[in-house]
Amino acid sequence: MKHLCPYCATKFDAFEALKEHALSVHRGEAVPLPEGMIRLTVNGQAYQIQVQPEWTLNYLIHDKMGFTSPKMFCDRGACGSCTVIMDGRPVLSCMSLAIECDGKKIETAEGIADAGHPLIESYVKHHCMQCGYCTPGFVTTAKALLDRNPNPTEEEIVEALGGNLCRCGTYPQHPKAIREAAGRLRRKGGE
Amino acid sequence: MGNVKIRPYEHLKKEGLYNLDADIPTITYNHIGKRGIRRIDGYAKASGKAVYTRDIQIPGMLYAKVMRSPYAHARILKMDTKKAEALPGVRAILRYDDPEIKGRTLNGSVGGPDRMASQFSGFALKPERVILAEKACFEGQAVGAVVAADSEEIAIEALRLIEVDWEQLPFILDQEEALRPDAPVLLPGAESNKLADFREFVEKGDVEKGFKEADKIIEFKARRHAHLWAGAEMPSVVVRWTEDRLELWNHSQHPYPGKLLLSEQLDIPMNKITMYSPYQGCSFGERCNPADFSINGMNVLAVLTAKKAERPLKLLFDRSEKFYGESGDMMVSYFKVGAKRDGTITAVDMKNIFAVFQCTPGIEHFLDNTRILNLRCKALTADVSKAPAWWDRCEQLPNTFCLTLVFDHVAAELGLDPTLVALKNDGCEGHGMDWLAKYKREHGFPERDSLKECIDAGKKAIAWDKKWHPPGKNTLPNGKMHGIAFTWDHEWDDVRGTGSAAVWVENDGTVSIVAQQADIGVNPWTAYCQIVADELGVPVEDVTLKYLDSDHIFSLMSPDGSCNLCSNGFIVRKAAQKARALLLDLALNSFEGLDVESLDIKDRFVFEKANPENRKSIKDIAVLAMPMHNAVGTWTQPPIVGWAWHNHGIWGDALETGRPRLCRQAHFMEVEVDTETGVVEVTKVVNVNDVGKAISPETIEGQMYGGTYMGVGRALTEEMVWDPQTGVLLNRNLLDYKYATIKDCVAADTIIVETQLGHGPYGTVGVGEDIATMIPTLLGPAVFNALGIWIDDFPITPSKVLKALGKA
Repeated sequence: MKHLCPYCATKFDAFEALKEHALSVHRGEAVPLPEGMIRLTVNGQAYQIQVQPEWTLNYLIHDKMGFTSPKMFCDRGACGSCTVIMDGRPVLSCMSLAIECDGKKIETAEGIADAGHPLIESYVKHHCMQCGYCTPGFVTTAKALLDRNPNPTEEEIVEALGGNLCRCGTYPQHPKAIREAAGRLRRKGGE
Repeated sequence: MGNVKIRPYEHLKKEGLYNLDADIPTITYNHIGKRGIRRIDGYAKASGKAVYTRDIQIPGMLYAKVMRSPYAHARILKMDTKKAEALPGVRAILRYDDPEIKGRTLNGSVGGPDRMASQFSGFALKPERVILAEKACFEGQAVGAVVAADSEEIAIEALRLIEVDWEQLPFILDQEEALRPDAPVLLPGAESNKLADFREFVEKGDVEKGFKEADKIIEFKARRHAHLWAGAEMPSVVVRWTEDRLELWNHSQHPYPGKLLLSEQLDIPMNKITMYSPYQGCSFGERCNPADFSINGMNVLAVLTAKKAERPLKLLFDRSEKFYGESGDMMVSYFKVGAKRDGTITAVDMKNIFAVFQCTPGIEHFLDNTRILNLRCKALTADVSKAPAWWDRCEQLPNTFCLTLVFDHVAAELGLDPTLVALKNDGCEGHGMDWLAKYKREHGFPERDSLKECIDAGKKAIAWDKKWHPPGKNTLPNGKMHGIAFTWDHEWDDVRGTGSAAVWVENDGTVSIVAQQADIGVNPWTAYCQIVADELGVPVEDVTLKYLDSDHIFSLMSPDGSCNLCSNGFIVRKAAQKARALLLDLALNSFEGLDVESLDIKDRFVFEKANPENRKSIKDIAVLAMPMHNAVGTWTQPPIVGWAWHNHGIWGDALETGRPRLCRQAHFMEVEVDTETGVVEVTKVVNVNDVGKAISPETIEGQMYGGTYMGVGRALTEEMVWDPQTGVLLNRNLLDYKYATIKDCVAADTIIVETQLGHGPYGTVGVGEDIATMIPTLLGPAVFNALGIWIDDFPITPSKVLKALGKA
């Protein structure tokens, strides 16, 4: 039986040989993660989780980790409701494999709300929600837009939200709310 | 007669019934009608912390999936589940031939002694209603088996491993084809595919006489293809048995009636069932009929499978499975209309042929809000190999389809301004405006002309007098053809409804509205808080709706049956008034020598009207009223809880007991048509709604611009497409079934008119259904005005435009 070094994958016939190799060659190195183990930062908090290769990021953060904001609406890639921010970019969590997200920083609508981002209050004020099922996907898409463009025009907002479906038709309120939140953020930044 | 003592129940019923007269407000509006009141579901929804059925997981929960027929019409000859049973992680398989489900049909929800009869199920008139069928009558029907497994993936894999021998049977997709004498009959033993409907024939006056009086006879044909709700949340139900007690977390607008149906269906005592209603990701009527398969059938399958698995489970549909029905306006219509040169319509004769189900026959709005004397409607329904159809925001679609097309064809044919034709025929059940004015006078309503006010406001907003032009005569500088159109209707959103709620003043003086209501997004809870705050005399911040998600007595209407605020507004108002009386009664302890009439409430204080300095806070009064307390609380008083029930009654031609429609609405649309590509762009929409009295203006506007997107989607792109060779629905997803995004339509102008002519509390009438229902057909006259050619075939796709232009 062969023994595999978890650091460098060198094969050894005897476990004792592996042990000696590990202690001499890899002493002081961080223990490598087992296969399928990923590290994620979600809303500023660190997680280390064992995932299956077929799990989507949505399944991981919604079903397994209990963040309810990335919603399954269209079922695969057509509606934007499951959008989370990954390393600053809005991504469809239903179209991303969890196992490929090792080391990523994720933000969800819960985290945006808990951080006191002005988008949330301006979304409430402007009635950007009716049934509310698609709303968190709009919030994450909008937050990602504001992160890279602190003063977006109406056209830029419409372009950014072009992939988010809302069956209740709340669309006209989003640019208003996003512009207002952007203004508040800029004022705060200028203080 | 002497003194007749009214029994308490009769008294309660009497005070809970709708009163025909105008509702004159007796309070000061501090919150009602005000902008800027924070919506109480806003944070939960924006932050993603609001929990929907789909989000719910409970310990030990399995996942269940249902087998779907791959064929449009087929029978299972043999089904072998051995391989599926052997798959690790499969915990139970419910087979169609298991005794607890075999042959079990959906039960109905219509009240009265026949209430559970199968023929009322879903109101869908689909003749075959087996919950887990052996024979599929449309592609995608639940058949064969339900699998419960450790994960959704294992359940899906297990369904794939079930081996089925199918016998394929002939199918039909088109309703006119289905009614031909040589068509194969879909229902075994039936004589034809024609479905019986009590509304098959409607006649009023004498249409032949009306045609003789006409200067012009107009005949045309129109068609509406299938579309559906396509709501945001995919259906699911979570079920848990604990001994003989059953809990369900349900995506349904009607949790309480759903419990009743389930109890009757499976013989489970109602007091052993708890039905929770989390937040609801869209509904639009899709989730409103608890007798439909997607609710009643789904619940039955989940409950029986959970029983068999001896585990809690979540039965879930994916997006393709959500394409399980159509809006009940799949129709082909033939019109013959007589009109005088001045626009007076003398007769309307229509024949509407529906597929699967007729929501409404098509003639009703001519009865409800015109003075046209001669009307006839033959409405046939044919069974076809498509899923059950029912109402889809809303059941008035056939009526609005016919009204818009008839009025706009008449105006076009006579070369008249369509707003004038509307005013010329506005009325009620054959009566003219004098009759309506008299009704308003006699019942205490203001004598205002709702339609005229709406038209005037809308014409101004869209610059109608400047822009309206003869058809096909306005080429824009960008080379496209400009079109502009108008339609109108009454507002029907106050028709009926029964509900109940309690208003409870808690010990610190804050106020809770207690009732179950499935929230589907129309911001009702904030509106109820505004009403209760003004009725009680407290700030709206002090009032909330207890998020009562289980079925504990009180249950408010969800927005279906075309009635929400008009019923529920009365309920919460009456409950608030009762709570106020109890509060004042308790306050008398602190106002010695005074009576209740001499007291009033304002800004959290009860005070003496004659001497406002003499006051006591609600908090100091309510602190005594304890629902429970420990043993030494001899000072306790009963809790301050007022509860009310309301039945909003009926409308329509039985005017002794019903009521006429008084509020109107006007809609205007501009389009640009590219004659090279056939693409139609909606460039402006103006919606004018007489809402009687606005409670929450932002909420009203939400319905007005929101419904526009649904309407524009239905008009331009929304269509379910079946393969004619196989009968398989081809676009079971949101990439190929397209509805409007933020980029597909401009925001509609929203104009709120408040005449106080509504039959709801404070003179309100609703707004939620009209726009999405009126806008789709308005595209027809708009495109006609652009091109001078009628394309009465909806949705109006580029290929149809090019075909009409002779280019394809």
